[in-house]
Amino acid sequence: MTTYDDATRAAVAELLLTLADDEFILGFWDSEWTGIAPMLEEDVATSSIAQDEIGHAKAWYEMLAALTGDNPDRIAFGRPPEDYRHAALMNHPRTDWAFTVARRFLYETADSVRLEALSRSSDPEIGGLAVKMRREETYHLLHWSAWVRRLAEGGAGTHERLRAALERLWPEAESIFAPLDGEAVLVEKGILPESLSLLRDRWVERARAELEPLGLPTTTTPGPGSAGRLERTDDFRWLWGEFTMVTRSEAGATW
Amino acid sequence: MPDLVWEVFRQEAEGDPLVHGGSVRAPDEELAMHYAREFYGRRQESIRLWVVPREAIVELDDPDLLQPPFDRSFKRPSGYLIKHKLEAARQRAGAPAIVAGSAIPEPEDVG
Repeated sequence: MTTYDDATRAAVAELLLTLADDEFILGFWDSEWTGIAPMLEEDVATSSIAQDEIGHAKAWYEMLAALTGDNPDRIAFGRPPEDYRHAALMNHPRTDWAFTVARRFLYETADSVRLEALSRSSDPEIGGLAVKMRREETYHLLHWSAWVRRLAEGGAGTHERLRAALERLWPEAESIFAPLDGEAVLVEKGILPESLSLLRDRWVERARAELEPLGLPTTTTPGPGSAGRLERTDDFRWLWGEFTMVTRSEAGATW
Repeated sequence: MPDLVWEVFRQEAEGDPLVHGGSVRAPDEELAMHYAREFYGRRQESIRLWVVPREAIVELDDPDLLQPPFDRSFKRPSGYLIKHKLEAARQRAGAPAIVAGSAIPEPEDVG
């Protein structure tokens, strides 16, 4: 890991934690579809993508642990709910299929913009990992875009359900790009090559290009803003209880 | 969504034959590709997949064409014995005759 002064290290740690928590929490929510997705093939695909996200979270947590001298398992499973830094978008359960498709589409488009920027990071380790992840995320984006088109053009009220989910989730998806405390340092050093507000605009443009031709909403009402990564819901606390159950049952156990 | 069945063939290494992996259900080509990738490629076990709608496959299973009732053993290469021709050729060339128990296998069924 590159050696940084204290302020920069804190800023990098904050960035890595948000990247890891986004992937980790979304991966856990979507794994709730395992066994009950709309059809067997989609069940396997959704579960596999959820598993990919947990794998990406693991890679970010390991990088963070190396930077701060911590333990990746401790970071992933040993924090109280208030210490997680995922975007507000990840505060809800899987809900129905249209909700999951809407959330996945908003997240994948945002994540692709974010990873594209990070692949140009001045930090070679962050850049290298982003390049690797982008290859896997390409398929994720293809898959969820395919589902957006199918629900938008499908019968039996699927368009309406997707529209409602997108309208509800847009403002919270914005919190993926909520400003970070140490952002100025990150941008100045090229660790994050562009500001999050710039990435946010690029994301809106890309999501719009796909949604507008399908007659789906792209307007954004004001979201939680910079508080978007601090908000915690009861739904999230429930999920936290689920994914920390094993580690809490036997403190200090090793595999 | 109407479900179609797609047959998936997979290749493990460049130059290998594509072998039938199994099938997936999907409403269209795009999702069929995604599902084929998940079922027959997500563990990096394939380098190429062919995804074919089952209707596109021409099936032939007529026993009159494939399993005719007459003896067809003469169509197999083993129907032609070259043992004696080979022995004669060896003698003409002055090579010692192959005797039973020799380390060199006798090419009985080569056609």
